[in-house]
Amino acid sequence: MAIGKLTRELHFTEVYKKYKDEHIAIREAMCLKAQFPGFLGGIEDNDLFAGRLDLPAVGITPDEWGPTSFGYYCIEQRLIAEIEDPSLDEDYRQAVKDMLDFWREENTSTKLRRAFPEKMARELYTDDWMNQSGISFPLYRLCGGYINFDKLLQIGIPGLYEEVERYRQKAEREGGDVKFYEGARIALDVFVDTCLHFSNMAFEMAETARTKERAEELRLMGTTLKKITKEKPAHLWEAIQLMWLYSLVADVRNLGRMDVYLGDFYVNDLETGALTEEDALRYLESLWQLIADRNTRVHGRVIIGGKGRRNEENADKFALLAMEATRRVLEVEPQLSLRFYEGMNPALFAKALDVIGEGRTYPILYNDDVNIKAVEEAFGFTTETAEQYVPFGCGEYIIDHQSFGTPSGVINLLKALEVTMHNGIDPMTGRKMGLALGRFEDFETFDELFEAYKKQVEYFVEIMADHEELEYKIAGETAPFLYMSMLYDDCLERGKGMFSGGVRYLGGTLETYGNTNTADSLTAIKKLVYDEKVISKERLLAALDADFEGYEDIRQLLLDAPKYGNDDDTADEMLLKVHNHVCNAVRDQRHRTSLHSYLVVIINNSANTLMGHQTSASADGRRSGLYMNNGNAPMSGMDKNGITAMLNSIVKPSTHIHAGAVQNMKFSREMFTTRRAELEALLKTYFQNGGAQAMITVVNRNDLERAMEEPEKYHHIFVRVGGFSARFVELGRDVQLDILNRTLY
Amino acid sequence: MPVEINCCERQAHMDRVQGTIFDIQRFALHDGPGIRTTVFLKGCPLRCIWCHNPESQDFNPQLSFDRAKCTDCFRCVKACPAGAHKVVDGRHVADHGRCCLSAKCVEACPNGALKIIGRKQSVREVMDVVIRDIAYYNNSGGGMTISGGEPMSQFRFTLELLKAAKEKGIHTCLDTSGYAPGDLFERVLPYTDLFLYDYKATDDKEHLRLTGVSNRLILDNLDLLYREGASIILRCPLVKGINDTDEHFMGIAEIDRKYPGLAGIELMAYHNMGHEKYERIGRKPEMEMLPTTDEATKESWLERLKAFGCGKAIIG
Ligand code: SF4
Ligand code: SF4
Repeated sequence: MAIGKLTRELHFTEVYKKYKDEHIAIREAMCLKAQFPGFLGGIEDNDLFAGRLDLPAVGITPDEWGPTSFGYYCIEQRLIAEIEDPSLDEDYRQAVKDMLDFWREENTSTKLRRAFPEKMARELYTDDWMNQSGISFPLYRLCGGYINFDKLLQIGIPGLYEEVERYRQKAEREGGDVKFYEGARIALDVFVDTCLHFSNMAFEMAETARTKERAEELRLMGTTLKKITKEKPAHLWEAIQLMWLYSLVADVRNLGRMDVYLGDFYVNDLETGALTEEDALRYLESLWQLIADRNTRVHGRVIIGGKGRRNEENADKFALLAMEATRRVLEVEPQLSLRFYEGMNPALFAKALDVIGEGRTYPILYNDDVNIKAVEEAFGFTTETAEQYVPFGCGEYIIDHQSFGTPSGVINLLKALEVTMHNGIDPMTGRKMGLALGRFEDFETFDELFEAYKKQVEYFVEIMADHEELEYKIAGETAPFLYMSMLYDDCLERGKGMFSGGVRYLGGTLETYGNTNTADSLTAIKKLVYDEKVISKERLLAALDADFEGYEDIRQLLLDAPKYGNDDDTADEMLLKVHNHVCNAVRDQRHRTSLHSYLVVIINNSANTLMGHQTSASADGRRSGLYMNNGNAPMSGMDKNGITAMLNSIVKPSTHIHAGAVQNMKFSREMFTTRRAELEALLKTYFQNGGAQAMITVVNRNDLERAMEEPEKYHHIFVRVGGFSARFVELGRDVQLDILNRTLY
Repeated sequence: MPVEINCCERQAHMDRVQGTIFDIQRFALHDGPGIRTTVFLKGCPLRCIWCHNPESQDFNPQLSFDRAKCTDCFRCVKACPAGAHKVVDGRHVADHGRCCLSAKCVEACPNGALKIIGRKQSVREVMDVVIRDIAYYNNSGGGMTISGGEPMSQFRFTLELLKAAKEKGIHTCLDTSGYAPGDLFERVLPYTDLFLYDYKATDDKEHLRLTGVSNRLILDNLDLLYREGASIILRCPLVKGINDTDEHFMGIAEIDRKYPGLAGIELMAYHNMGHEKYERIGRKPEMEMLPTTDEATKESWLERLKAFGCGKAIIG
């Protein structure tokens, strides 16, 4: 009978068992050896670089491979599928079953969860944040590391060997952790083997290549892969190959300040005639495709531009090339991100707008003139350090290869308000949750309600900070994550793994959701229940519990209350209150814990939708189960005063107390073509006013179609017909169709 | 001290002087240069048959009912103290004439089908909005535009608004039909950086037929403003088959010759987007719905104007 697909995993497990009680660096190194190159995919048809992932069902990674798969992980479903497949060999299935039993006990997530103290275990009662109701959830991952690619390319693998060896000898002399360095050396051996494995593969494939050109490409790839094991890279293609393959084995998913570390290679090759611009672009397009196919969904960041680049002129040239690659490769990754500042080469910003205007949504724009100061303040860094900030994933800032700040927890502020208003009961499930701080009906003043909400949030913030600290502790006891540690300040110097005391600044982040809905709800409650007394507390609760069924009039009143995003002082001030409170409560955790920093991030992904499903009707008029607002944005469709008003609102919350917030904006294609001057003025003003970030979507037919179906959400789209403009949603249906069709041309 | 008294008086003025407006549009890009905030004043002495903003004509606030959003729940029928909402054949029908503007129905409607168009606001209230985008004006060469309706029909309010804007260093545009006493134009002139000045028909009888008023006063005011050095963009609403006659085109070309210093001539091509707004406010359109002007027609207009010697015109 047939053997299944998990023989590599079985071998990996055997190795792990064998070295289970060894030093964690040796254990990890031997596991890496079992993992690579076997767990990497082959070279595909158009690849100009080797290295694709073939995700193992059991392995070791800092980042996540599914909801609770990080560290030594095991993707149970894939094992179960084999165990339950009767066509497979009995003994094999038994072996897989034993493997499953083993990892159920031994995987890092389980160890972490078992270490939860009682209160943490009670309040974080489930890990299933996508389907269960709760205020806070733990996320199991150590994500967002940015390794020192620049150093890797400047000293190459031989340089890294040397450095490891130097520190090893020093440790021997002075009594340091010699095994840590031995582990690092083995990991480098594994990397070299991996390069040679692909080198052979490339040469073999060259033999049977369909065209002469392809054979040549493959031979060059083979030569390059061999060369980078013995020398530091000298050309752009060598540099890309090295950084790419290393990023895969390290499972580092964000690719750092690429214009800095590739800029000199690119310009040198151009100057010596080793490459033309078109050649370089072909390499970059291939890299972009590999990044896209890696499909990290939320990572794949490539940073270009900004202050603090040692080779600004060369880096600028590379940055322009990178944007052109993004224009040509129509994929959702890499998440190309442009940092800019007043005085930077204007060609970069102009190119960025061209690419965005084509509807590519990249580059994402980051305003250094705001962000560097913000990072200084929020984290407590010097200007020089802050200049090396890099946004990762959905938008969290860390310092390139100096700091770490995984977002390993979420908090749903709207749920916190909901539970508070129900005196410690989650109305979605009837479950006891958090603190019971009194009945809403008994809160005499708005301040009493707000104080109770604050206490509730603070209670969970402390739990989440403790959780983050605990996660690092368990991770540090589990593995040094060697590939990452070798290129992260100051792990080699200290002879310690990333999370065992190695990394220079070990911080954390907490994702907040529902910020705007919470603020808008509080605004409505303050105005209608406490100030004007037009809705009684009892009726409000009844309306919310009934999801407004039979209380449409109340819902209308709530909807008509001021909303964040309209440059309305009442609504915006409430948002500031909510924002300042949660950001400072989280930021203060650095005094309670050993974390260098613990900061809020206000980002966008699908969590606002998924957690919205589990959140009841809210006092901003939002129906039960509806998505919540996205990032720092107003609730969809609630910004009704046009884009300048929206932008004026979103620059109000302080950027100096968190680790990143994202701003989605949508414009019509027409804005980018026929009204370019005004568009530039608009963005310039937004950034001068303190705008930190912008992610720009150019409206397409889809948006307009959706606007016709759900007009209440698309108040902000202006269209031009003949001699004046109009709000799209206020037009008659046939006019809308008219415009819709015209936009197509 | 006299200066302070003046200042206080003006401050009081800003609260006292009120206008009836029906919209404030921020990030307006088509009512003058750059990024602007356009304040739409309600009420107009003209009745252009093609008007695409019929809700701007009446000087008073009025009820608007959007049939497409109505689900016939009849809450408005119960809420209205004036009997302006009825049930006819099982469907809700609005009788706009009975409305006393209590706005009870607007609150009651769960679907946002009902609105009161128009509200009284003081100069200060409007300026509170306008000043919020000053940085955007400065970076784009934009500012504030007063449009309507006919702003000159609320002269006091328009004048004070213009003054208040100039005090803040904001560029001002006045979008006008030109139909107001000449001395009033002289008084707004010092505070108006640019006039968007309508020119609708050359033949006076035609003008009367199409807009309800003679064009003599309008042409006199144009002459007056031009000679006093006003910066003016001439805006010509054109409807195919209605006023795109040779005679009118010759008239436009003649104005171009007579006033070579005009800052621009813009042809405002008819579109039918306003057509269904008539029904919402309980009126019948003054003219049948025509197709929105196609590109070829616009091109041909420019060609014809060129033939008459006017090369300055562009499509606005
Ligand atoms: S505004 Fe008042 S009077 Fe007018 S229709 Fe509505 S409820 Fe009736
Ligand atoms: S309340 Fe609104 S939806 Fe109901 S009948 Fe009146 S207009 Fe129609």
